[in-house]
Amino acid sequence: MIRTTRRAALAFGASALALPRLALAQQAEITVHYAQPQVYKDSYDAIAAAFAQREPGIRVNFITSPNYEEGTQLVLRQAATGQLPDLSYQGFNRLRVFAERGIAQDLTPMLARDGDPAARGYTPNLLALAHFGGFQSGIAYAASNPISYYNVELLRRVGAPSDPAAFPKTWDEVIALSARIRALGDGVEGMWFQWPGDDWMFSALLFSAGGRMLTEDERDVGFAGPEGLAALRLLQRMVREGGMPNLNATSALQAFAAGKLGMRFGSTAFLRNMITSVGRNFEMQTTLLPVIDPVNGKLPTGGAAGMLTARDAAKREAAFKFLLFSTSPEGTSMMAKNTGYVPVNQIAIDDPQYLGEFYRENPLFRAATLQVDRMIPWYAFPGTNSVRVTQVMVDNMARVVEGRAAPEQVLPEMAAEVRRLLPRRS
Amino acid sequence: MSDAALPRAATSRAPVGEALAGLMLTLPAGIAYLVLLLLPTLAAVTLAFTDYELGMPALNWIGLDNFREMLSDRGFAIALRNTVIYVGTVTPLSIGLGLGAALLIEAGTRGRAFFRAVFFLPVVSLTVAMAAAWQYLLHPTIGPLNALLRQVGVTDPPFWLSSSDTVLLSLAAIGVWESLGYNMVLFLAGLSAIPRELYAAAEVDGARSAFDRFRLVTWPLLGPTTLFVVTITLIRSVRVFDTVAVLTQGGPNKASEVLLYTMYREGFTYLRLGYSAAITLVFLAIVLALVWLQTKAMDRKIHYG
Repeated sequence: MIRTTRRAALAFGASALALPRLALAQQAEITVHYAQPQVYKDSYDAIAAAFAQREPGIRVNFITSPNYEEGTQLVLRQAATGQLPDLSYQGFNRLRVFAERGIAQDLTPMLARDGDPAARGYTPNLLALAHFGGFQSGIAYAASNPISYYNVELLRRVGAPSDPAAFPKTWDEVIALSARIRALGDGVEGMWFQWPGDDWMFSALLFSAGGRMLTEDERDVGFAGPEGLAALRLLQRMVREGGMPNLNATSALQAFAAGKLGMRFGSTAFLRNMITSVGRNFEMQTTLLPVIDPVNGKLPTGGAAGMLTARDAAKREAAFKFLLFSTSPEGTSMMAKNTGYVPVNQIAIDDPQYLGEFYRENPLFRAATLQVDRMIPWYAFPGTNSVRVTQVMVDNMARVVEGRAAPEQVLPEMAAEVRRLLPRRS
Repeated sequence: MSDAALPRAATSRAPVGEALAGLMLTLPAGIAYLVLLLLPTLAAVTLAFTDYELGMPALNWIGLDNFREMLSDRGFAIALRNTVIYVGTVTPLSIGLGLGAALLIEAGTRGRAFFRAVFFLPVVSLTVAMAAAWQYLLHPTIGPLNALLRQVGVTDPPFWLSSSDTVLLSLAAIGVWESLGYNMVLFLAGLSAIPRELYAAAEVDGARSAFDRFRLVTWPLLGPTTLFVVTITLIRSVRVFDTVAVLTQGGPNKASEVLLYTMYREGFTYLRLGYSAAITLVFLAIVLALVWLQTKAMDRKIHYG
């Protein structure tokens, strides 16, 4: 892992050396950074190829990091040594770190230059996805939300309908169905909800109950009320009544791919990987994620946003052009086709000429798009303990899943721990 | 340090040019040591007393605050405890089993090369790649180990890496598997250095049973080897990181959080480099203390054959 970053850093240094010559050739050259090439590479390559035809005067060099976490580290290190790329695509919940450190730039003035952003598909809802640290710190490039994956054959064996439209809409039904699948025996498990890793899937439960992470003024925790309790109780019921096994993410994916897991609840971002690993073992289907509160319930948005980091004016213009193109109706369609993510430009979402045919031919990709109305930003905590807080939540969920403590006991303790990590204000 | 033994006159008569040449020749290594080892260590020591965070424009001198925080940090306490348990399991087991394997192979007549290779294989294989294999072997529902356990009638086999009751145990088992072969090879080398005549002499003197011969000849003469093996195994197991990072990420609920993983996570996930550097210092102190204790306490009791 270290080698890749180092190589990226070397490549960056080499391209910096080559800059003066290229400037002579009257060309703008920009360095664009993104993470998770195994997920995103095809989409960026397609976009860069189309961009090269439209803007032949701008050369785009890519540097990558294996995952979001290392992507954050790389850009923070480069910020410390003054070697920032011109544009960097970061995970949504990491954007706040850059915004609060003064590395990401406010895009509002540049967006406003060409008239109303909404007319170009940047609706307030979509812009809000990358609004962190109190300003427009980025533009969403790819968005995901949690969906339901299920093994059609296991559902058929217990006599449940296999049609996505008939899949349970409530968690009560899911848990009952899970118990029935588990009763098949032979190591078959009913369901698995992707709670380990980070706070994202906890917020899926919390938001879907209508709750929020912190209060509006961000001074105190907002999840310690009935919504948070409902979320943790549901997690407990998944284990107790639904027989959810205590697996980690990799084991669960393996069990599902081996046809030993009935239902899996997790991000749509994994869709392409899931399709590959399931192969022809069995028929897989995807559909909406059940929500606790069908009226006010929301879902968190995962994915990445591009943030502008160029200091040089000419490069900033060039990098902004690439950012706009990558999130244009055309760019976001290429992104959606080459990943499992949801498009993030309203024009591409509404106008069937962009993705209509793709979704007709690839119905598994539709599940995530059907719940776009529920999507709200992935919450990022303020202050220096931003990322640390998420681990507190995972650790406390583990206590519930392992049956170490009751939700009624865990919730106040989790709230106290998070409170301690919030920035102190006088 | 050996030049202290040389006659004084010889050193003082050495021409200045020769001394200079010597200096020049050690210079590359000296610079490498300074730049790659000494300066980074000093930088880490300095950082440990600051609140530096990756990407922050400024840092403040906060004295011992990082260490004070460590004392009240539940995560750090758990990591320390888990590391002690891990080291306490892996070190005796891998040394005992390594010695056992070495004795059996040494005593065996057939297939010695084969068994040597089999036990040594984990040492030369890449831990990260092997971790993936372990992940599959220990998989709770589709793994071969639990399939076997179900076959022999265990209805609820443990969840190994994903249950907080068994996760440390599972990691320790992988750790033993990893360092057993290394220890075995070291013991084999030690065994081959023991003169055969001593065994014959011991037998003549009345050491009839194999255990007596082991107790009176093999064990004392293996002293230097054992000292080295104990030290190296302790340090290797304190350093446990790869398997944790790949298999469990410290979970569930910190049940497999170990010192180096905490250091990594504080520094590179939470970006708190100052606190991470403070943990590094604690780690460094533990390793140095181990080495010092080993040499101090055991040096006197060892028979250098």
